[in-house]
Amino acid sequence: MLLKQLKLTNFRQFIGEQTVEFAINEEKNVTVIMGENGSGKTTLAQAFTWCLFGDTDFEDKVVFNRSFERKMLPNQEAVVRVELSLVHNGIDYTIIREQLHKKDSQGRLKGNNTTISIAYKRNGQQEFVKYLEVDPLLKQILPKELSRYFFFDGERIGNMSKEIKKGKSQDFAKAVRGLLGLNAFISALEHLKPTSKYGVIGSYNDSYDSKSDQRISQYTTEIEKAQEEVDRIDLRLDEINNEIEKAQEQADKINALLLTMAETEKLQQDKMKLVNSMGKTRQARSSAMGSILKQFNSNYSTYFAKSLVLRTLEELSQASKLDKGIPDMHARTIEFLIKRATCVCGAKIEFGNDAYKELNKALEYLPPQSIGMSINQFVVESELKIKSSNNLFESITDQYKAIRDYESELEQCTADIQLIEKQIGDTKRIGHLQQDLSRYEKIKRDRINELKEINQRKGSLQTTRDRFISERAELTLRDEKNKKIEIYKAYAQFMYDELNKVYKKNEDETRQKLERYVNEIFRSIYQGGMSITVDERYNIQVLVEDENGYSDDVETSTAQSISVIFAFISGIIKMARENGSQQDGENKLLDSEPYPLVMDAPLSAFDRRRIKSVCDALPKIAEQVIIFIKDTDGELAEEYMGAMVGKRYLFSKKNEFETYLIPR
Amino acid sequence: MLFQKEYSFRGTHADKVNRLTSQFDSDASFKLFSRNIDVYVLAPIIGFLYGRKSPQDRKGSDTTTKIFTDQLIREETIMKYNYQLILLLDKKHEPSFDERINKAFRYYGNNSPETLTDEELYDQYVLGGIELLYEKLIENATNTEDYLNNLYDFIEEFNERYNETISDEKILDLCALARS
Repeated sequence: MLLKQLKLTNFRQFIGEQTVEFAINEEKNVTVIMGENGSGKTTLAQAFTWCLFGDTDFEDKVVFNRSFERKMLPNQEAVVRVELSLVHNGIDYTIIREQLHKKDSQGRLKGNNTTISIAYKRNGQQEFVKYLEVDPLLKQILPKELSRYFFFDGERIGNMSKEIKKGKSQDFAKAVRGLLGLNAFISALEHLKPTSKYGVIGSYNDSYDSKSDQRISQYTTEIEKAQEEVDRIDLRLDEINNEIEKAQEQADKINALLLTMAETEKLQQDKMKLVNSMGKTRQARSSAMGSILKQFNSNYSTYFAKSLVLRTLEELSQASKLDKGIPDMHARTIEFLIKRATCVCGAKIEFGNDAYKELNKALEYLPPQSIGMSINQFVVESELKIKSSNNLFESITDQYKAIRDYESELEQCTADIQLIEKQIGDTKRIGHLQQDLSRYEKIKRDRINELKEINQRKGSLQTTRDRFISERAELTLRDEKNKKIEIYKAYAQFMYDELNKVYKKNEDETRQKLERYVNEIFRSIYQGGMSITVDERYNIQVLVEDENGYSDDVETSTAQSISVIFAFISGIIKMARENGSQQDGENKLLDSEPYPLVMDAPLSAFDRRRIKSVCDALPKIAEQVIIFIKDTDGELAEEYMGAMVGKRYLFSKKNEFETYLIPR
Repeated sequence: MLFQKEYSFRGTHADKVNRLTSQFDSDASFKLFSRNIDVYVLAPIIGFLYGRKSPQDRKGSDTTTKIFTDQLIREETIMKYNYQLILLLDKKHEPSFDERINKAFRYYGNNSPETLTDEELYDQYVLGGIELLYEKLIENATNTEDYLNNLYDFIEEFNERYNETISDEKILDLCALARS
């Protein structure tokens, strides 16, 4: 299958009709479609999936262009259409998927179911594939199981690499085998399969002549019944194994979680310690604050007045008002002495004499006329204040510093607690986890028991079946006609066994070759001591080889995962291409088609060096490469793939609902 | 006469006094000033030192907050002392030293027109001081930490500006000198 053209009509943001042609030339097989984030790369990649399978990975399942929707009138109809033109098996096909949308009278948009049709050219005439043949043809062109690997989304790589590593269904293995050209073998084997009712051997079984003995047909029925049940059991065994594996996986996950929970408990204790110490620190901070305020309130009056006191005292001490008063003497004392007419020294006091004059002069310096005593009082008060005061600033500074320390301690504690909480995560889930764990353990036990049971049942059914087969064989030998059939059957069985042998050998070789190719390609992209193995179901394992040759399955990083998937897909494509180009001839046992590789943002997880190796490798491996890419990676890709690029497009985004594809 | 009868803060000054004496921390009931009278005692000193006078606000809000007479009388000594400090040092108000001494000691509480002017001056320092304390301690504070930082910054600034070079010994020496 090679892609020629994609035509979109009103598909999501691609308004109107827009067409992309893909480079198909052998020399120039690369198409680069470049656009910034959100411009529509993923949408375009999804258009392929929608066209082929009618589904997208978008949350919003409406594919109709929103801008166009707005312009529609009530009761108006319009169609979303994607047309994909491709060449498959030398025939040009056009796959058309349409979805009719109608606006109802309330203006709500309703979409019908999508319809698909495939057109092809025969004798220059366009014809449509019959309805019932559409699905089988699509499966032949590209099996859905594999489509995601060919329409490759670099941003959803995580799940893909997990899928590819384990739990792949039979369908996947079948699809891979088909791509690898083993289909012819598989149908031949299916045709001859001895256990199938509808195969060659089955039809012989049906043609036994039971006239000679009723028991022959009875045995045949019994054998078929037993075989049917064995087949059912085989299917169930597959399921059970899958279920056990899944339950084990879940249990492992929970156990790992519970292990971290044990660490959580310790963290919880650490957290409590921190919370307690925070409480104490807060208390200490609070009491330091209280103490600062208390000191402020009891010392402010002296502290803030101190400079004033100093200045006042300086002025007062320079003045001469203070030293003239007689201590503890009052004006009343003088008045008493004058009235008594005798001084304390014994001198006579008479009106107008010297003593009288002297005493009256002293009155000026004595209370109440004198203020000397008031001043003295003031000075004494100052002295008392200063003596009883402490230095407010010094004493609160220490406490203030302590508070700052407490605060940074609190901050540290808060940060530590946050860190711990982050580590702890959601501890409330622990109860659920225990429940879940026992549920998964129970599922595992139950399934293992069932496994034992049905294996036993299978064994007994097989014994019964084989017994009937040999008894029937004995009976048939008695009749000539039936004897002949028995001989034909033996031939058919022999052919089946031989063919199976060749197939097994071929498949083995094919698988080993695939493994070799995958490893070669992987090493060219991703350096490092890793190798990939492919098992019978085409599941992949990545092994690390250490120096002692010891190897182990490993968790891979994103870049590794992408490289693995690249390598796997490229390996398949390379083999398919080789098979397709082999000369026709007797020895041509394998036959398959070349395939394109369509990749959305495949390089974003890689560094420059890897981008270069990927760009070197891909166009050589795949027949056709189509890359959707953001501008910076795109420039690199174009630089490295240069000569191989045949077509270039650019997304031009007008707004959220209108993007145009422009050839460059 | 000052300090003998009930005192009322009015308008914006009353609002500011309320803020200065209200709880700022929900957990520990912290207040910057315990009582209105504490603001009344400190404000004139601050007003005088920072040169900030303010008239009574009669236009602003109609909030009032009071200091009762008995409380004033109990604290009279300290308020009288502060009054004397300011009147002794306010050279703008009265250039003559002798007259300042008279105002501080001789005329204190004599109800003469001059004394009433002095008392008016003192009151303006009280109100100016309230404004300044409000600006320094309350404005821009939103949480406990802010209040505490403001208080510390204010005391630190004050220390640098006025108290750093003063030692208690020096004051006590001066007291001794003044008494001799």
